[in-house]
Amino acid sequence: MAPKKDTKETSATTKTKDTAVTASAKKTTKPAGSATTTTTKVVTKERKEKVQTKALKAKQRVVRGNKLTRNRKIHLKPTFRRPFTLRLQRQPKYPRRSVPKRNRLDHFAIVKYPLTTESAMKKIEDNNTLVFIVNIRANKPMIKQAVKKMYDVEAEKINTLIRPDGEKKAYVRLKADHDALDVANRIGII
Amino acid sequence: MTRVKCSKLRGKKPDELQKQLTELRQELNTLRVGKVTGSGGAQKLGKIRDVRKSIARVLIVTHQTTKENLRSLYHGKKYKPKDLRQRKTRAIRRLQTPKEKSIRLKKVQRRQWAFPQRTYAVKA
Repeated sequence: MAPKKDTKETSATTKTKDTAVTASAKKTTKPAGSATTTTTKVVTKERKEKVQTKALKAKQRVVRGNKLTRNRKIHLKPTFRRPFTLRLQRQPKYPRRSVPKRNRLDHFAIVKYPLTTESAMKKIEDNNTLVFIVNIRANKPMIKQAVKKMYDVEAEKINTLIRPDGEKKAYVRLKADHDALDVANRIGII
Repeated sequence: MTRVKCSKLRGKKPDELQKQLTELRQELNTLRVGKVTGSGGAQKLGKIRDVRKSIARVLIVTHQTTKENLRSLYHGKKYKPKDLRQRKTRAIRRLQTPKEKSIRLKKVQRRQWAFPQRTYAVKA
């Protein structure tokens, strides 16, 4: 196989030499060594390129070696675990929802209204707490934030309970620097 | 408060609408407090309904304008968000498109061209 390839290579190289010499020649002669008779054979550019690439590929294969014997991995353990594979991040072509959902439980929806019962009044005076009826799906940190946003007051702690009629009641103890009575006046409870 | 009208709202910018929305919601809050404390009377109580409906109107207008803008944004594009696509019915969405239905084998095409349905008429 080797000598054949070499000849191909040489033929390719000679043909390239010919193109280098003759500027844009389509006609070339056969390699000088073979025949003295000037039999001009029409060798097109495409054919030349084809032969060149073929020769190049053959050369590469010789260098690379045949792939008949593959590199087999040696497994030292009897178990086979799935190897780490490429995990790509999502690149969606379109958002599934055109508009993102709006938050239905914002601070307006959390705090419904304050309580003005006698016991609630007592809480305001004595314990510095305000009592609110609150959305049942709100939790204590949510309530804290909502009250802060709505009434500008910091809550020290919040206790919640669910009334028998299904509403959530929140006892919001205010921080010492706030006065529940003032805040209640401001809101309009008193 | 004068009745909030949708036609008036449509002219406004989105941040103006947002501001109006927060104002309305705050008003609703104070009204609810008033309801509990027993302050205003019948007029105040009736106002609650108006305010609620105005809030609804503002939300409607904001949503409609955003949806409209998005539709024009995605117009003509191949991939649209699912809520901007035609709804119809689930079965209809899964049917073949008219183009897909019209695809025929080359063999069949040739046959149909070569041997079309002939119509004959009897000369009276």
